[in-house]
Amino acid sequence: MAADTPRREAFFLPGGVTAGGRFCLVTRAEVPKGTLVFAHAFAEEMNKSRRMVALAAAAFAEHGWNTLQVDFTGCGDSDGDFGDASWAAWNGDLQDAWRWAEAHLSGPLALWSLRSGALVLSDWLRSSGVIAPLLLWQPVANGRQHLTQFLRLKAAGEMLADADAKASMEAIRGSLQAGEAVDIVGYRLSGALASGMEAATLALPAAYGAPVTAFEVGPPDRTEVSPALRMLVERWSKAGVQVRAEAVVGPAFWQTQEIELCPALIEASVKALEGFS
Amino acid sequence: MDTKNEVLSILDEVLSLGGAASRFELDTPLLGALPDLDSMAVVGLINMMEERFGFIVEDDEIDGSTFATVGSLVDFVNGKLA
Repeated sequence: MAADTPRREAFFLPGGVTAGGRFCLVTRAEVPKGTLVFAHAFAEEMNKSRRMVALAAAAFAEHGWNTLQVDFTGCGDSDGDFGDASWAAWNGDLQDAWRWAEAHLSGPLALWSLRSGALVLSDWLRSSGVIAPLLLWQPVANGRQHLTQFLRLKAAGEMLADADAKASMEAIRGSLQAGEAVDIVGYRLSGALASGMEAATLALPAAYGAPVTAFEVGPPDRTEVSPALRMLVERWSKAGVQVRAEAVVGPAFWQTQEIELCPALIEASVKALEGFS
Repeated sequence: MDTKNEVLSILDEVLSLGGAASRFELDTPLLGALPDLDSMAVVGLINMMEERFGFIVEDDEIDGSTFATVGSLVDFVNGKLA
């Protein structure tokens, strides 16, 4: 590689639903074995995990993997407000990032996600027909569950006051179903984003022909993945998918009060990437 | 799956009990007995139970009595998984 090629490069990917385009960040390997396209987490979880994701991308580059990060419409440094975002727009953002990576970065291409990024990725895989290795970090398996938890942030203070929490949640859901945006802890959530997320589930086509690795982060005494992930992995295995899931020790860095890191997750992921090329 | 052990592990993590939850029995009181179990911690518990067990808690399914003891919480989870 020429000495003047930057290792990290930021640019705006034109197109999409806003004029200014989607903010992208490429972290390049010196001698690339392949490229990961990254689907980020939702709202505050994206902000909390920024540093961890940057460090992982740097470590992956050390081991021969480029990473293309795309900030979905209205997120991070991309154009538009969070209120402009829709689930369909985010699918389009991932599609455009994938096409850009195909044209400009070394293959093979693989996908990497954190939390609800797995839902965006899974919806897009089904619509695009693309089959590529998947690295899933703490995947969210159910969009309705994730949306409910996000809405709960608004109703949290009333959770134990019996009727109040229910009334509060009902009012929020009513607004969203009427297509109105609601403000949740500083994020303006559009009806179009909420409905898309609510309908999303983590699923793969039968006999999905590429390796899938999922990691869950937890305390030292927890050596197994959650019952929910274990069931998902069993279902995929029965459907002929080459999948494995592993628990690694570390903090829930996407939601901790302070910014935290999980080096064991990066280490385990680097190992998983060896099976991707 | 051992629901009680999984619930205790979740309690321990959400409330940062440093392993103390592993000694809890079914009649160990929770709400009102654990000072850190406030409304935000309750939301944290609900969220983690949803994710680890793979269900969704509807808004009208829970109240304070769900979190009275370890046993009431385990019963709630078993009911959701049934």
